[in-house]
Amino acid sequence: MVNAPPVDINQIKKIINDYKDSQWPVMPMVEHIQDEIGYIPPQTIPMIAKAVGLFPSQVQSIVTFHDQLYTEPRGKNVVRVCRGTACHVRGGKAILKSIKGRLGLEDGQTSEDFEYTLETVSCMGMCAVAPNMTVGKNIYGNMNLSKVDKVFKKSEG
Amino acid sequence: MQPITISLNGREVSGKQGMTILELAREMGVDIPTLCDDPNLTPIGACRICLVENEQNGDLLASCVTPIETGMVISTQSERVIVHRKTIVKLMLASHPDSCLVCNKGNTCTLRRVATDVGVGMIEFERIADAVEIEQLNPFIERDLSKCVLCAKCIRADQELVVVGAIDYFNRGFDAKPATFGDVPLEQSECTFCGTCVAMCPTGAIMDRGRSYHGTASDEVETTCAYCGCGCSISLGLKGDRIIAITPSKKGGPNNGTLCVRGTCASDVIHSADRLTQPMLRQEEELAPASWLDAIEAAAEGFKRVKGLHGPEALAVISSSTCTNEENYLLQRFTRDVLGTNNIDSSARLHNAVNRAALASTIGIMGANSDLDGLEQSDVIIVVGADPDASAPIVSYAIKRAVKYCGAKLILIDPRETGLSTFADIHIRPDYGTDAALLGGMAKAIVDEGLLDEKTVVEKTNNYDGLKASLSKYTAGSAAIEAAHLYAKANSASIVWGTGLTQHAGGADSVRALINLAILTNQTSGLYALEKECNDRGAFTEPLQGFSALEMIEQIEKGAIKSMLIVGENPILAFPDSGRVEKALSLLECLVVSDMFLTETALIADVVLSSSSFAEKEGTYTNFEGRVGKLNTAIDPIAGSLPDWNIILKLAEAMGSPMPFDDINQVSDEITALVGNESKSGPASFAPVDYVAPSDDTNKEYPFKLLTVSDLYSLGSGTSISHSYRLNKYTSEVYVEIAEEDASKLDIKDGDQVKIATPVGELTAIAKVSDSIPTGTIAIPQTLPTGSANVLFDITLDNETKTSLAKTCNVSLEKVVSNG
Ligand code: SF4
Ligand code: SF4
Ligand code: SF4
Ligand code: FES
Ligand code: FES
Repeated sequence: MVNAPPVDINQIKKIINDYKDSQWPVMPMVEHIQDEIGYIPPQTIPMIAKAVGLFPSQVQSIVTFHDQLYTEPRGKNVVRVCRGTACHVRGGKAILKSIKGRLGLEDGQTSEDFEYTLETVSCMGMCAVAPNMTVGKNIYGNMNLSKVDKVFKKSEG
Repeated sequence: MQPITISLNGREVSGKQGMTILELAREMGVDIPTLCDDPNLTPIGACRICLVENEQNGDLLASCVTPIETGMVISTQSERVIVHRKTIVKLMLASHPDSCLVCNKGNTCTLRRVATDVGVGMIEFERIADAVEIEQLNPFIERDLSKCVLCAKCIRADQELVVVGAIDYFNRGFDAKPATFGDVPLEQSECTFCGTCVAMCPTGAIMDRGRSYHGTASDEVETTCAYCGCGCSISLGLKGDRIIAITPSKKGGPNNGTLCVRGTCASDVIHSADRLTQPMLRQEEELAPASWLDAIEAAAEGFKRVKGLHGPEALAVISSSTCTNEENYLLQRFTRDVLGTNNIDSSARLHNAVNRAALASTIGIMGANSDLDGLEQSDVIIVVGADPDASAPIVSYAIKRAVKYCGAKLILIDPRETGLSTFADIHIRPDYGTDAALLGGMAKAIVDEGLLDEKTVVEKTNNYDGLKASLSKYTAGSAAIEAAHLYAKANSASIVWGTGLTQHAGGADSVRALINLAILTNQTSGLYALEKECNDRGAFTEPLQGFSALEMIEQIEKGAIKSMLIVGENPILAFPDSGRVEKALSLLECLVVSDMFLTETALIADVVLSSSSFAEKEGTYTNFEGRVGKLNTAIDPIAGSLPDWNIILKLAEAMGSPMPFDDINQVSDEITALVGNESKSGPASFAPVDYVAPSDDTNKEYPFKLLTVSDLYSLGSGTSISHSYRLNKYTSEVYVEIAEEDASKLDIKDGDQVKIATPVGELTAIAKVSDSIPTGTIAIPQTLPTGSANVLFDITLDNETKTSLAKTCNVSLEKVVSNG
C-alpha cells in the first residue's frame, strides 16, 4: 500500500482547539476530525489526549470502542453495499461481486490511491427498494448492474 | 448519620450510609466471591461474579457497586444467585485457554478459585479459541491476554494508582483487551514495570517474568522494601527457601497497594549467584575463603593491633544507610564502647545532613514530619529539585493522583523536564544552584503582597524581622509571583524536595529558604524531604565530635586513621572521587568490610565478612516520612552469611568486650527506651539565608555543566540493586543526555559513544540527544549500571554539613565513536 495522504496537522490542531474547553470534548472532537480527514490519524491521538487531559491509551480506548470511528486512512468515497437478506435475494450478491471486481477491493479494503473504501452492511432499513448501496452520503436503491456502471461513471467523472 | 439496617442471609445487620453490600458483607464476615473488585480501586461492576439477590423484589445486584438501602433483604447464596454465578464463570472459562495445569498463577489464580468455589463442573459452552500473542521482550512482565477476563483491574491500577496511563481497553466486545497506546509491547510504552497491575490481575494474564520456572508461592512474609527511602510495605512470596514473588503488602503501608520496578526485582539481588557465601581473609596478597571464626578473629586482632600501636583515634567506622536502625545503633555503641573512639559516620550524611541542619535550625524537628496521605490531600504542591518518578516512585504516584483526581495544583521547580512536567500548572526552570534565590523571591512576594497573616506570624514565630530584612535582595519574576500566590492561598500546601536542592553548595540554605516559605504561610506540616537510601533517615546521627565520612578519607591520607570497619557501604562507588578514595583505603593497615557482595571496596579489604540481605533479618528502617518499617525474616541467612547485627556482636566479643544483647529485639527495646519520641521544641524560627549566586566557573577545557540525576532502574549507591539480573538486562548501558543545540555543535548524534572527563576522572557513555535539558548542560544518572558518576567528582565538602557536592561539576565532552 502506498502511504496515506499526508495529514494536515494544523487543521487538526484547530479542531482540537475548537473543542478542548467544552465539557465533554472527546467525542465531538474526534467525530469532527473524522469528518474532515476521513479517519483519526493515530499520531494525532497524543495531541488530543494532552488537550483533554487524558492519557493517549485512554483516547485510543474511546476511539476503538466506537465502530464508526476509524484509525486507518479511508478512501474519499466510502462505498457500502447491503448484504441483508432482502438485498441478497434480489441480486445484491451480483452487485457486490461486480463492485469488488471494478474497484479491485475486498470487503473492508481501501484502494491504493485512497479514492475508494469498500464495506458491506447488514441492512440499510430500505428493504422495499432493495438491492441498495451508498457512496458517501448518496443512497442508491433498486440497483442493477447497469446502474452500478452509471454510479461509478458519475463519481469518477 | 443514621446507620442503615438490612437483612443479610437472614441476619439483621447495619452499616454506614454509602457502604456497598459487599463492604458490609465483608465486615460481617460473609464471603462473596469477586473478580473485578479491589479496595484500592474504583468499583466498576464489570464481572458480575459478586451477584446477590434482593429477595424483596428478586433483583440480582452486583454487590460491589450497590449501596445498602434500608429494608433490603439480601441473600448471597440463593438458588438464583448460584445459577447465575455459575453461568458467568462458565462463560469466562469458555473463552479461557486450557492451560491451568501449567499456568504459573497456579493456586494464586482468583478465577480458578472462584470456579472451584461456585462448583462449575463441566463448562458446557462451546469453547471460543482466542489466540493472543505472548509478549516476551522486557525482562519484567509478560502478558498472555488469552487469559484475560476483562476485569479492568490492571487498567484501573495503572490509571488510578500509579497514574502512568500505559494501558486502557482496545476495541470492544470479543476483541476487547487491555492495550498500550498503539498496541505496542509494554517496553515500547510508558510502562514503568512497577508491577502494580501484575499484583492485581486475578488471572495469569499479566505475570512477572522473574519467577517463571519457580511455580507459585506457598507462604508469604510481610516486610519493608530496601531499595529507596520510601520504605514500601511488601510481601515476599516464598517457595521453600526461595523468594519467588514480590507484591505490595495487603495491609497498606506508605505504598497502599503499589510498588515500583526496583521493589519487584529485590528477589534477584537476594538470590544473586554473586552473593558472598563465606568470609574472606587476605593471605599473601590474595583474598582467600575463611571460616567465620578465623575471619572475626583476624578482624579483632587487626583492630587491637592498630589501637595498641596508634591509640583508639587511629580507628574509624563507616556504617550505611542500608543498615537497620538497630545495626546503626549497635555500631555506634561498638565504636564508642569497644573501639573507644568517636570516629563513626554513616553514608546517610551524604544524603541527609543538609536536611537535618536546615530543619534543626528552623522548625526544630529532626526530619520532615508529614505523611504521604497528607501530601495527596494537599491542594497545592511544590516539587523542587526532585525527580520522584525515579528517586521515590510512590511519592510521584501520590503527587500525580492529587493533580489528576483531586485537582491539586503542581508547581514544578526544576531546570530539566521530568515525568512531572506534564502534570505541572507552573514549571519554573531556574539555573542550577539558584533555587534559594527563587524561593527567596517567592517569600518576598508573599510578604510584599500581604499574602500572610502577619500578626500571627509575628506572635508565633521567631526572627520574622530578620527574614524580612534578608528578602530585600531578591526579586520575583511573574511565574514566581504566581506560584507564591498559589502557595500562600492554599488550604493545605506541601513542598517536596530532593537531591537537586541538597547536593548543591549551600544546599542547607536552599532548604531553609523553602522552610521559610512554609513558616510564613503556616504550612510546616507539609514538608517532604525525599531520601535516597532505605534508611537514610534512621541511619543519620549527629556526629560525636569525630570525623565525618569524607573527612575520614583525608585523615587516612594524613596517616591519622590506620584501620577501618566499613559495614554495608561501598565508598569507592558511593563517595566522590573514586580513584582517591580507593587509594586512601588501600593505605589502611587493616580494612574490614562487611557486605553481601565482593564490592570494589571489599576487594581491597584485609577481612571481608559476608552479610545477609534485608530479607534474612529482623530490624527496622525509617522512611522519608519518619515512618518506621519493620523487617521480618523471610528466609534463613543465605549459606555462609550473617546479618550485620550478628557480625557486630561477634566482633565485640572477639575484642574482649561483649555487648549485652542476645538478639535484635533487645536492641530495639533499648533504642525505644533511649529515644522516646522525636518532638518539636518551641516556636518555629525563620532562618534568613545569605544567598551567594553560583559563579559560572565552566572554562575552555571543561565547558559543560554535568548534572547527576536519579534513575529508576539503578538507584542508590548501586552496590546492591546492580545485582538484579533483570534490571541489568534492561539498562546495561550508560546514557548521557545532551541538549540538542550542543549535540549539533559537536556533531553528536543519538547513539554515538562519547567521553566525559573532569580533572579527576573520565567515563564513556552513549549519547541521548534531548530537548528536556538546558543548553550547556549534560545529565547522567548518579548510579550507573557499570559504576558510578562519582568517578568524575572530587571531594568538595559543603562547609556547613560536611556532605559532598556531587550534583554538578564542569566536564569536557567529546565524541569517541559514531553510531554507524
Ligand atoms: S489482564 Fe488481568 S487485570 Fe487486566 S483486565 Fe485482564 S484479567 Fe483483568
Ligand atoms: S506495570 Fe505499572 S506502569 Fe506498567 S502497565 Fe502495569 S501498572 Fe502501568
Ligand atoms: S518505591 Fe522504593 S521502597 Fe517502594 S518498592 Fe520502589 S524501591 Fe522499594
Ligand atoms: S436488506 Fe438491504 S436494506 Fe434491508
Ligand atoms: S466484583 Fe462486583 S462486578 Fe466484579
